[in-house]
Amino acid sequence: MFFRNSLSLFPIILLATALTSIVNVEGHRLSARQNKVDASERLLQGNAQWAASTKKDNTTFFQTSAKGQDPKVLWYGCADSREPESVITNSIPGDIFVHRNIANQVPPEDANSVSVLEYAIKHLKVEHVIIAGHTNCGGANASLSAALAGSSASQTLSDEPSAGALNKWLEPLTEFALSQKSQLSAKSNSDALTVLVEENVKKQVENVSNSEAIQAAWQAETNGTGRAVRVHGWVYDLSTGLIRDLNVTRGPN
Amino acid sequence: MPVHQLLATNAQWAADVAQSDPTFFPTSAQGQSPHTLWIGCADSRVPASVITGAKPGELFVHRNIANQFHPDDKNILSVLRYAVDHLGVEHVVIVGHSRCGGAQACLNAALAPNFVPGNLPIATIEDYPAEEDINRWLEPLTELTASLELGSISDAALQTIVEENVKLQVKNLSQSEVIQRAFENGTTALGKKVQIHGWVYDLATGRLKDLHVSQSSK
Repeated sequence: MFFRNSLSLFPIILLATALTSIVNVEGHRLSARQNKVDASERLLQGNAQWAASTKKDNTTFFQTSAKGQDPKVLWYGCADSREPESVITNSIPGDIFVHRNIANQVPPEDANSVSVLEYAIKHLKVEHVIIAGHTNCGGANASLSAALAGSSASQTLSDEPSAGALNKWLEPLTEFALSQKSQLSAKSNSDALTVLVEENVKKQVENVSNSEAIQAAWQAETNGTGRAVRVHGWVYDLSTGLIRDLNVTRGPN
Repeated sequence: MPVHQLLATNAQWAADVAQSDPTFFPTSAQGQSPHTLWIGCADSRVPASVITGAKPGELFVHRNIANQFHPDDKNILSVLRYAVDHLGVEHVVIVGHSRCGGAQACLNAALAPNFVPGNLPIATIEDYPAEEDINRWLEPLTELTASLELGSISDAALQTIVEENVKLQVKNLSQSEVIQRAFENGTTALGKKVQIHGWVYDLATGRLKDLHVSQSSK
């Protein structure tokens, strides 16, 4: 199970990180020994540097940004630290309205992720909703392992209470994996995980498409009173850094 | 069409990073060990990694309308549980920001002439029914706003709500089972000490401000 693997690999990863240098997005090499300094302090210092250099490059950027936002895109991604949407698409503040949770889900009854959709569609009038899954997703891997082991959907993680938030949150994904069990078990673990990650993205595209907010927007578009809204499904490949469009884009019929 | 542009800028970014460090992506794919869980607003102007200069792999991120931590929300509770007890983050930060649209809507609603405190449900955004998810989501913040008795809708009032909201969410977070257990035991099951913090991002300056409401193990 990926969760357990990542726990047992943690000291090794930490050692490897300390011994190698990490490239930041501007291409500078930073010593991993900076990990020893309090991480929250480092974030605040990083922010001060970023704010200063941004202002230097564009003196009016922040004043303009403070006046309002007009993003055209709503991004539903995974909370995974390796999928920061603005970094991987080289976007700037103001471009993308974002919700991230475990395994990039938009369950119809989840007030949290659905309220983001309602605000984005009705208030901000975004034109695109992107569901962005990613390879090596811990949540998807947990659901896959549970399904292949024949666990019940309510007990994805055996070391978590079934009534606890994590198992409840993963239940729909595990249920889905269980329904695909024969196809998934015929593949290698790595291929099966990729398939589940992709199928999960497609399912969330469907959840979003069936939402009241999107249905109303498409109705308005068909009547000529609204503007175009499209729902897309993407998968970010961690091993290459490349996003792949699954070509399952939905719009009004 | 912005989505094709995003795919193009992604391809360029991936190529640049791979050229700078060919081991970056293969290493990244092997696992993650973020040090911080960032709970922020969905607002497009507050992308966590960009404004802190954090690299992929550092921040586990959850963003929702007005950076809420509702005590019974299994979405955020699952993120917290996974981040603290499975990934071993050492910091959880709640990050609010100036000119928050959600907070502004709550201010407008709480100070509307026909607003009656305690009269639920509240149609914070009156274009939509009170039972709509966005209004149910904002209800606690509208109630908090009403309790502050701010008197009038102003920039200063909005900033007060933004800061009081972060303090309330830090309190909610501190009362969660995951954080209570981490504080009471001194460390988490993974042997980590956890600290929680409340910050506010000022859109007009690009600067994060620590509200100094941090908590950690006794």
